[in-house]
Amino acid sequence: MTPERGPETRSGTRPGPRPTNSGGGRALVLVYGILALAACARGGYEVAVKFERAPLAYSLALASGIVYAVATFALATNRRRLAWPAVVVEMAGVLVVGTLSLVDPDRFQRATVWSWFGLEYLLVPLVLPFLGVAWLRRTGRGVPVEAPARQAPGR
Amino acid sequence: MSTLLVLVGTALCAVLAGWAGWRAARDRPVVLRQLYGAAVVEAYLVAQAVAVVVHPADGGSGGAKYWLYAVTQLALLPLAALWAFAERTRWSSVVLLVAALVVGFLQVRLLQVWGQG
Repeated sequence: MTPERGPETRSGTRPGPRPTNSGGGRALVLVYGILALAACARGGYEVAVKFERAPLAYSLALASGIVYAVATFALATNRRRLAWPAVVVEMAGVLVVGTLSLVDPDRFQRATVWSWFGLEYLLVPLVLPFLGVAWLRRTGRGVPVEAPARQAPGR
Repeated sequence: MSTLLVLVGTALCAVLAGWAGWRAARDRPVVLRQLYGAAVVEAYLVAQAVAVVVHPADGGSGGAKYWLYAVTQLALLPLAALWAFAERTRWSSVVLLVAALVVGFLQVRLLQVWGQG
């Protein structure tokens, strides 16, 4: 017995931009969602409890959470025009904050998910924006990204 | 919060992740048997949460961080299962793989943040 094929199954051959929230996009949305939760919780906690100690770093921590939340929402609901700026800001954020955390460790060490380019999160924050951009480009071209869905679901 | 509780949970997640990874590598979607497996893991997580509430082993308690992780890990596998029905490609296997890995990771984090605010 296997799960029924859902109504969202797509052939992957239709012209025009493909949805950002199916196929590999689902895995991407899941990872974005988890990071959004992690970054929002961390940033929110830091801003609420110890904001005075490092206002800039903790504001950035919360901002990173918001950027991830926006990217998650945009990718999950196929809003390409919102997803693009979110992913680009995310890429700039991880590169800038990652660099700052090495140059000025006193202020940025351990403060955000972007510190040390996301090393604490297994470098996922560094890789993710590049995957996001690649995914938006591929789906934007409207070409099939993976093999068409199987007629008979697995064995 | 006992180490044994977490070790068993991490091992269950590793098995589920391995199974999903194997199917993802062979370009196969999630099948129902895997969802039964995920249900077993989920049942274990629920039992673990209940056990921690009823009888925190070392007399400590879980803070806000602990329960954020605990609630997150409970939500992940059901989400992966829903997507397994909607997405009949290898990507459902990748989603289950990621979900199982993250739950296993959160299990370890539960131990680390036990007793922290």
